[in-house]
Amino acid sequence: MFLTRSEYDRGVNTFSPEGRLFQVEYAIEAIKLGSTAIGICTSEGVVLAVEKRITSPLMEPTTIEKIVEVDKHIGCAVSGLMADSRTMIDRARVECQNHWFVYNENITIESCAQGVSNLAIQFGDSDDDGAAMSRPFGVAILFAGIDEKGPQLYHMDPSGTFVQFDAKAIGSGSEGAQQSLQEVYHRSMTLEEATTAALTILKQVMEEKLNSSNVEVMTMTPKDMFHMFTKEQVEEVITKLS
Amino acid sequence: MMQTGIRPYYPDYSTVPVERQINPYADNGGSVVAIAGKDFVVIGADTRLSSGFSIYTRNQNKLFPLSETTVLGCSGCWCDTLTLTRILKSRMQMYHQEHNKNMSTTAAAQMLSTMLYYKRFFPYYISNILVGLDNEGKGCVYSYDPVGHCEKATYRAGGSAGALLQPLLDNQIGQKNLQKPSQEDLTQEKALSTLKDVFISAAERDIYTGDSVLIKIITKDGTKEETFDLRRD
Repeated sequence: MFLTRSEYDRGVNTFSPEGRLFQVEYAIEAIKLGSTAIGICTSEGVVLAVEKRITSPLMEPTTIEKIVEVDKHIGCAVSGLMADSRTMIDRARVECQNHWFVYNENITIESCAQGVSNLAIQFGDSDDDGAAMSRPFGVAILFAGIDEKGPQLYHMDPSGTFVQFDAKAIGSGSEGAQQSLQEVYHRSMTLEEATTAALTILKQVMEEKLNSSNVEVMTMTPKDMFHMFTKEQVEEVITKLS
Repeated sequence: MMQTGIRPYYPDYSTVPVERQINPYADNGGSVVAIAGKDFVVIGADTRLSSGFSIYTRNQNKLFPLSETTVLGCSGCWCDTLTLTRILKSRMQMYHQEHNKNMSTTAAAQMLSTMLYYKRFFPYYISNILVGLDNEGKGCVYSYDPVGHCEKATYRAGGSAGALLQPLLDNQIGQKNLQKPSQEDLTQEKALSTLKDVFISAAERDIYTGDSVLIKIITKDGTKEETFDLRRD
């Protein structure tokens, strides 16, 4: 991967002479082992779709939670180390509730991402408030939400960098999926079109055959806000796929 | 050695604990009145700053603009007002920098409430009235007790003559106890003239209210300011 790999990938906050933080770059690589997640933002709302890897038929698929509600107006899809994602989702939820408590208003999607980003870069030496995380979080997050600026989609990687996207794919199938998203996305997309597109692309990049128990779909609309698709609703979309 | 009770007797100094106190608060008086309408809000505060029977100054502004659409009126302990408004100013700026937008009146109202409650056991001794336009452009008034209880209203009197003026506003603005209450919306002219009238009445009865009133009128076009003289005795 890196031809110049040297001793500089040992410490989490030691720059290499070329100015790189290897551990952060490795963490970004770790995302590419995770399950694929796709987010598409339309004028009607945002849709998130993720694959769930069912590694054993004895596994209970509903216990894998890759899309979570952070607040009524923000949902997140995660890919990478699930245990790490819990910590980050916790922080996102605290940011939302704290903002509501102090200002009696919904936090913007950007500010929520900013809050989580502050946690993401707190690896390395511990500071005043006790032990810090000893390594970067191996998680990428898609934030889907609605605030006064309308429906929005943000992506954040383990370096804490967050960027707004119209459509974004993360995880193992992200490269192919991102390419397909660029081809199908257009500004006047309806939410229904986006949902179908997300599942079509997910179907293409997934190793397993796509069915209603190995995907999770969520929509964020001004009317219903955070809405997780039921098994029946997912099946309905799947039958419409060509 | 002579004994008194079980305690040894030392004639030169007392051996019992003596409690001494300082009073961290002062009451510097002053009154604030706010009246909201459909698309405007007016707030006025007298400009007298006093302590007991002496007047510190006859022209002290007690209205603090927090944003383009929000103004806070403070009366009570002046040193607490200075500190609170300085912290508020920095919190408004921090919010702007963190969230890339100006704080709305409703957000400022909730923030003030939490800030006051965080000093629950050593409160700011201030009677606060916060006014502004909400996100729909409607005028709104929020009043607070010193520990952060917040109430949304359409009109409110606070400060040293607050208890004197509120019933007058209830009648004149709130149309309470009237045979034929008016069905029309409150106009800016009526709000302004009522505000001046109640301050004249307050200055007659309350020695901590007087000299002049500073009034701010907030509409979607911005904030206008005017002054109005009261009796100076």
